[in-house]
Amino acid sequence: MIEVDVKQKVLASNSAAAATLRAAFEAAGTLVVNLISSPGSGKTTLLERTAAALKASLRLGALEGDIATERDAERLRRMGIPARQILTGGSCHLDARLVDRALAAEGRALASLDILFIENVGNLICPTSYDLGEDFKVVLLSVTEGEDKPFKYPAIFSKAAVTVVTKTDLLPYVPFDLPAVREQVRSLNPAGRLVEVSAMTGAGMDAWLGLLTEKLAEKRARTPAGVASA
Amino acid sequence: MHEMGLAVEIRRLAREAVAGHGPGRIEIVRVAVGELSAVEPDLLEFAWEAAVAGTEDAASKLEVDFRPARQTCRVCGEIAGRAPGSWLRLCPRCGDALTVSGGDDLDVLRVVFEETVPLGGASS
Repeated sequence: MIEVDVKQKVLASNSAAAATLRAAFEAAGTLVVNLISSPGSGKTTLLERTAAALKASLRLGALEGDIATERDAERLRRMGIPARQILTGGSCHLDARLVDRALAAEGRALASLDILFIENVGNLICPTSYDLGEDFKVVLLSVTEGEDKPFKYPAIFSKAAVTVVTKTDLLPYVPFDLPAVREQVRSLNPAGRLVEVSAMTGAGMDAWLGLLTEKLAEKRARTPAGVASA
Repeated sequence: MHEMGLAVEIRRLAREAVAGHGPGRIEIVRVAVGELSAVEPDLLEFAWEAAVAGTEDAASKLEVDFRPARQTCRVCGEIAGRAPGSWLRLCPRCGDALTVSGGDDLDVLRVVFEETVPLGGASS
C-alpha cells in the first residue's frame, strides 16, 4: 500500500481556465459580473432594466446560462444589447470553459464591452463553486423566496460581493423580514454590499446602477485598457 | 447536484497522482470539503461510488475531511461550539457584528493505492 500527498484544488483546471478569461477581460477593460440566484428571482428582468438605463452610455453584453431555451438571450437582444445563450443541457451551473467557448463563438462581438453580464443557471448552490473569470459575483434574493435564504445557502451569500434583494414592490403582500436578511448577509459577508430593488417600479435601481458604474470606474483605474483610454 | 462532476475530477487528479508511481489500484482518496464550499459531503461520497463503478478503482473509498468555517467577534474572539450550518447573526456574548473565515476548502489531500502488476506480468 502506497500513500501519496496530492494537495491539489479539485477545481484547479476550472480555475486555470478562469484565470485565462480574467486576463483577457483585464486587457479589454471589461467589467464582468456573474449573477447567481434561484430560478425566477428576477435576474433577466434586472438585466433588461439595466440595459434600458445604461445602453446609451455603456457597451453592454450578456451571456445567458440555461438548461434549455433561447428565451433569456432573446429578451436581452430585444432590449438592444448583444446576448448569447449558453445551453448546458442539464448541467446546473456554468464553468469557465463554457464561457470561453461562448465568447469564442461570438468572435469579437463581446470582446470590446464595458460590462459583460453572465447570468448563471438558476441555482443557489452549484454555480457558487465555479470561477468564471468575473470581477465579482452578485446574488439575487426575491422577497417571495423568504428571509431565511442567506443562512440556508451560506456559500453564495458569503462569496457574492453584492446581494440584490429583488421584487421589493411585493413587500406589502408577503411576509418577508428585510432587517433579518440584512443581518444575515452582514454576518456572512461583512464587506459585502446590499441593494434593494424593484425592477418593476424602478425603486432602488439608482443604487444598483451606481454600484455598477462605480465598479467599472474602479476597474478602469487599474487596468491597462482604462489607463490607455484615460 | 454538481457533486458528480467534482467526483470525476477528483478521480482524474487521484489517477494522475497514482500514475506518477506506476500502475496501481486506488484504495482511499481523502478530500477536504469546507462548510462554505457549496459541496455536500454525503452527495460527494455517493457520487464517488458512481464515478468509480466498473473501473479498476471500484472498491475504493472517498473519505471527506469536513472543514468548518469560523465566525469571529472582534471583541470576544472566535465563537466556540457552533454546530455546522447554524449561523449566528450577532455575537451571543456582546451583540457585536461577526466575521466569517475559512471553510471554502475543496482539495484532494491524499491518495492511498495498491501497486498492481501490469497484465503479462513482470519478469523479475
